[in-house]
Amino acid sequence: MSAAPQLSFTARYSLVLSLAVFIAAALVLPWVGAGSISLTRVLRRQEPDYEILLQLRLSRTLLALIAGGALSLAGTLFQAMLRDALATPYTLGISTGASLGAVAVIALGWETLHGIPMTWIGALIGAFAVLVIVIGGAFRQRQISAFGLLLTGMAINSICAAFILILSGFAGISRSFSIARWLIGSIDATSYTSLAVLATVVTLVSAVILSQARNWNLLAVGERWAASRGVHVGSMLAQGYILGSILMAGSIALTGPIGFVELIVPHVVRSRVSSDHRILLPCAFLLGGTLLALCDTIGRIVIPPAELPAGAVLALIGGPYLVWIIRQRAPAEEI
Amino acid sequence: MSRLLEVDGISFAYGSRSVLDSVSFHAGAGEFLALIGMNGSGKSTLLDIVSGFRRPEAGSVVIGGRRQLEWKRREMAQQVSHLPQSIHADLPFTAEQLVGMGRYPHTDSWFESEEDHRHIRAAMERTSSWPHRHRPFQSLSGGERQRVLVAACLAQNAAVLLLDEPSTFLDIEQQLHCFSVLRDEALAGKLCIAATHDLNLALTYCTRLLVLANGVIAWDIRTAEAHENKEWLELFSRRLELGTTPSGAPWVWYQ
Repeated sequence: MSAAPQLSFTARYSLVLSLAVFIAAALVLPWVGAGSISLTRVLRRQEPDYEILLQLRLSRTLLALIAGGALSLAGTLFQAMLRDALATPYTLGISTGASLGAVAVIALGWETLHGIPMTWIGALIGAFAVLVIVIGGAFRQRQISAFGLLLTGMAINSICAAFILILSGFAGISRSFSIARWLIGSIDATSYTSLAVLATVVTLVSAVILSQARNWNLLAVGERWAASRGVHVGSMLAQGYILGSILMAGSIALTGPIGFVELIVPHVVRSRVSSDHRILLPCAFLLGGTLLALCDTIGRIVIPPAELPAGAVLALIGGPYLVWIIRQRAPAEEI
Repeated sequence: MSRLLEVDGISFAYGSRSVLDSVSFHAGAGEFLALIGMNGSGKSTLLDIVSGFRRPEAGSVVIGGRRQLEWKRREMAQQVSHLPQSIHADLPFTAEQLVGMGRYPHTDSWFESEEDHRHIRAAMERTSSWPHRHRPFQSLSGGERQRVLVAACLAQNAAVLLLDEPSTFLDIEQQLHCFSVLRDEALAGKLCIAATHDLNLALTYCTRLLVLANGVIAWDIRTAEAHENKEWLELFSRRLELGTTPSGAPWVWYQ
């Protein structure tokens, strides 16, 4: 009976550690940056330190933590549903769809309409349009073929990327610059209102995803396997794709398309901590958020006063890692 | 009294290609059925339908006296366990995590209880896979993997076990072990249905042969009476002969 306590010990240990790292990132990273901030001045609420910490650095650290967590969680979910370590909302075209939606809004100059953040709405519409097309394209015999999903996703990905180019071609210099800037993917200071909306959506959606952790375990093995162990495969997959797309689109609308975090984090946590989704999902969320916040901080301090976008820092770390994963991957066998 | 499993008039087609055309059979606790037939005869499809993974176009499946559609998925999973034919070998889970999944339908608790762990250990010990419990599934050999998967079905503790070619990729010793574990399950009051291509394994361990051909159950014979009528063999190949082993059991050989 040694296995039982050992498992829950490892689980508790990694969860507590991930949570500690996440909280530490939230508390420490806002203090790091090009200009130093003095604690005493902040406590006395003196300008500009108080303003910089609260309005700029804290909000962007929180955005990085939430968006990074949401993206990693979505990546973990898609990898489980497609049983493919390289499947992400990116390879399915959902991210590019969200980008296209947001870019269309920027190209039209409608970033905010009556105080409503329209890039957000655009990203959501784009993500769901792609989701419907991709799933519709892969739907055969009342089943979704993972292979068809990935291929359709790649096709849609290219189509959306082409439309983004067309839109930025027609957008005029200043708008096309803000489109290009947006497409790099960066964490910027955000209003606490948008942060609160994102945090609420992400918390609710993540809670639903996490509550189904055992079903994701079963689906990660196979659909027949899951069906004969009590899972409604069709509705579970539909739920997963919709919830994952909400997480993706919600984050992307505020940060731009930040790649790799949803690919690397699930992979590292799965191989280093556990592939049991009851532990994998929360750890991926907490560590993904921490990683993105860390990348944002690095981007803030390497070439002051200029800033390297978090997406670029992550790509520099994530790109080589992706190549390494592909090289490590053994050819998939069936038994 | 109703039988444990009643399959009546099941029909199924993939698009316009009809696979099953009014398949019926009944089976009770304590039986070990071999589902045999040529490639593409619909063995896997029939198991998919009995497990509830696919819906038949016509016909009904009654389990424990209650129509399948009336069962909740979760309740079905406590009654029927299905070992599909192809499971990805590069699963990231450890052997014990996979076997533990058999316990999911039985509990709502977040992690497995002591009782679940007793079931997991017992199932893994019966298939001699307990020593591999901490190893990743992908690092196991073909035979070790299959034993872990069978253990996962045993841990589910369902009344009906459906196994799609459980002995494929196993060496002979492992094949015999796998089928004897299933026979023991049947003797303990379960109903086991195994799709297989190995006629001698079926004749040796199973109580009944269901021969699928042309979308129907062409033959439904007790293994003890299999040598009385050899026509069922011709469905497989004209080169097969049926004789008896020195101990008197039926045995198939080919010329």
